[in-house]
Amino acid sequence: MNTLAFRLFLAVLLAVLCAAALIALSGHNPLEAFAAIASGAAGSPHALGVSLNKTTPYLLAGSGVALCFRAGIINIGAEGQIAIGGLGAATAALVWPVESPVVAIGVALLAAALAGAAWAGLAAAIHLGRHVHEVLVTLLLNFIAMLLVQQALAGALGAPGAGFLQSPLLPRAAWLAHPFAELGAHPGILVGVAASGGLSLLLWRSRFGFALRVAGASRQAAAYAGLSLPALTWGAMLLAGALAGLAGGIEVLGIHRRLIEGFSLGFGFKAVAVALLGALEPLAVVPAALFVGMLEAGSLSMQRQVGVPSSLVAVIEGLTMLFALAAMARR
Amino acid sequence: MTDHLLEMRGIVRCFGAVRANDGIDLTVPRGQILGLLGENGSGKSTLMKVLFGMLPPHSGSITFKGRELSGHRPAEAMAAGLAMIHQHFMLIEAMSVVDNVMLGWAEAGRVLRRKAMAARIREASARFGLDLDPDAMVADLPLGRRQRIEILKAILRDADLLILDEPTSNLAPAEVAGLLGILRRLRAEGKGIVFITHKLPEVLDVCDEVAVLRAGKLAGRVPVAGVSRAALAEMMVGRDPTAPHAPDAAAPGAVRLGVSGLRGAGLDGIDFDLRGGEILGVAGVDGNGQLELADTLAGLRRPAAGRIALNGTDITGASVARRMAAGMAYIPADRARTSLVRAMPVAENFALRDSGRAPYGGTFWLHPKARRAHAAQLMAQHDVRAAGPSALVARLSGGNQQKIVVARELDRAPTVLVAHQATWGLDPGATRFVLDRVMALRNAGAAILYISSELDEVMAIGDRIAVLSGGRIAGVVARAQADLRQIGLWMAGQAA
Repeated sequence: MNTLAFRLFLAVLLAVLCAAALIALSGHNPLEAFAAIASGAAGSPHALGVSLNKTTPYLLAGSGVALCFRAGIINIGAEGQIAIGGLGAATAALVWPVESPVVAIGVALLAAALAGAAWAGLAAAIHLGRHVHEVLVTLLLNFIAMLLVQQALAGALGAPGAGFLQSPLLPRAAWLAHPFAELGAHPGILVGVAASGGLSLLLWRSRFGFALRVAGASRQAAAYAGLSLPALTWGAMLLAGALAGLAGGIEVLGIHRRLIEGFSLGFGFKAVAVALLGALEPLAVVPAALFVGMLEAGSLSMQRQVGVPSSLVAVIEGLTMLFALAAMARR
Repeated sequence: MTDHLLEMRGIVRCFGAVRANDGIDLTVPRGQILGLLGENGSGKSTLMKVLFGMLPPHSGSITFKGRELSGHRPAEAMAAGLAMIHQHFMLIEAMSVVDNVMLGWAEAGRVLRRKAMAARIREASARFGLDLDPDAMVADLPLGRRQRIEILKAILRDADLLILDEPTSNLAPAEVAGLLGILRRLRAEGKGIVFITHKLPEVLDVCDEVAVLRAGKLAGRVPVAGVSRAALAEMMVGRDPTAPHAPDAAAPGAVRLGVSGLRGAGLDGIDFDLRGGEILGVAGVDGNGQLELADTLAGLRRPAAGRIALNGTDITGASVARRMAAGMAYIPADRARTSLVRAMPVAENFALRDSGRAPYGGTFWLHPKARRAHAAQLMAQHDVRAAGPSALVARLSGGNQQKIVVARELDRAPTVLVAHQATWGLDPGATRFVLDRVMALRNAGAAILYISSELDEVMAIGDRIAVLSGGRIAGVVARAQADLRQIGLWMAGQAA
């Protein structure tokens, strides 16, 4: 584990070095660019708050993805599960407005988790029932989920005359508060950390987690141990789906306060990247998600202050993934 | 200088403190078949690896065709005229015979001369009685024919010395007879042949002389004419293994495992009753339904028809977990992926099938501390050599890995044990351990189905001997009445 952690650290370092070379080639000072990212990501309480908010969906969805991958279930459907979770939260908040913030937020987030789990459950049902490979099912359901959100916003859930597809503003009671005044962050990060801690406990200390790890190591050994692969698949997919849905719900209630088309574009795929960068260890997904969240929070200030396009951050993310996969691909 | 084709003198090769080859002299004249006998771990493989240049010897010399070989590489050994026919064939199944022969051979030409090569194959095939069609796909050929392709490759490449490593282990009896015929023709053409095996009858049948290795040394070399099986066996193991077994502890008890009309993929109607206090040894050439029978009994495969009763209860459709709860233990043949998780520590492997049972865990949570303590205890009881309960199983030797499996399955105090190739790849000490534990379980009153393709082992441990052939039980006989010739016929597919 230590050596793997070290190799992953090297992977990040290599990616950053490559990015530095690219920045230098484009005629800018890499150190200045990185300093701008750092100040944009953590230079002030507000900057840190933005970083934490950006980290939250990656952390929630990424932990769930890590759990599935551990069991050898290649669930790349977080993208769609997040979108459906957002749809669920917005629908619940708009359809059933209540006075009490606790009830409003609770109901909306519950709806988000259930919607995400249902979407993942649909994938599990097709995969197990019709023997379609889970990569195909989860991937293709992502596109359907995006279109469903679009459809809802173009119809019953849409705000007329906005110029683009979005819902009306949610009732104020459903807004996630920003209790940390200085940071300006919603409390989603706490939910994310709690979820990754819980999943880690589940993975290492529960029979369910043990079964997932055995199934991930060898399908034959799992059958020999008397484990039911369908039951494990259902369990892991529903859990991961619920967490991804929750990520979508928190994004809607905490950031936009309304459902917007494409609000979660790319989140689910980055969640896969974050899970891998965290070596599929739920607790290690926390720093991995934070790394990506901070990069993105700092990218705009790099563009503003140094003139390096913010899309360079996407290059760093991609390179990190490549190197991280190389670091993990042993044996 | 004699006219020896091969002369190995004083070969020493050590692995750490172990002297795998401890001053071995071995010569092979032209036109002779030399049997090389020895148990697992006696040094046969090491000696051959030294000969082929895969391992440098620590001292000793090798002379082949009058020329000294030293510091050579496998490719050079092959170019000099040495050929090795491995137990597992190095063939590409999706290619034809002629393509496999040409593979990696410079003489095939840069632009392949397929027709010319096919003609050479036909000619050699006729001369040595190989009966090989150059255009046949390897995938369509039975194992015996595939082996002949390897022999053909050696012949075409003008090898003078052929080394066959356990050539009969995957063959049916009729195929063995064919192989021995081919070897005799090769001998008549003046080739030297080393026949590595631990099967005595074949040695007596085809070899001119036998060299026996034991614990890294040459235990003896004798002409085959006039030597008895028992004498050879004693030379090999230092004792006479055909000596009668200790008498059975008790008369068999009630029927514990009743199987009737079992059919499915690879199984063609199997019936037997297995009683408490009894070991039913199941012999047979691998691939005749052994894996299917073991997996079906253990609940890893569903039968198409038939009934399995465990202690009187129908468990035909029961889950693996229910079978275990009802008293069934299973030692599968595949340690690498089925009975162990190599990437997990020893302690978790002990808990593999029992994570919900004390002391390993409860309904929901695991109990890592208790698991560790129990694992340490089991390791001590069963002499599992590992750095500790947290050591990864992949780091352990095959013998220690299998001890974990045996310890785990016996720790549940089962009433029925199904074991398949339980000693595969183990050294003599670990083999002994497994057999002793299995017999102790029998003496404690459990019923045991012991499936193995090692006939000697089945004969040594089984109270009754059954032979599996073509997915059926060709015959069953009490050990006292067992006749090797009859068992051989059953293995060849003749029903009782």
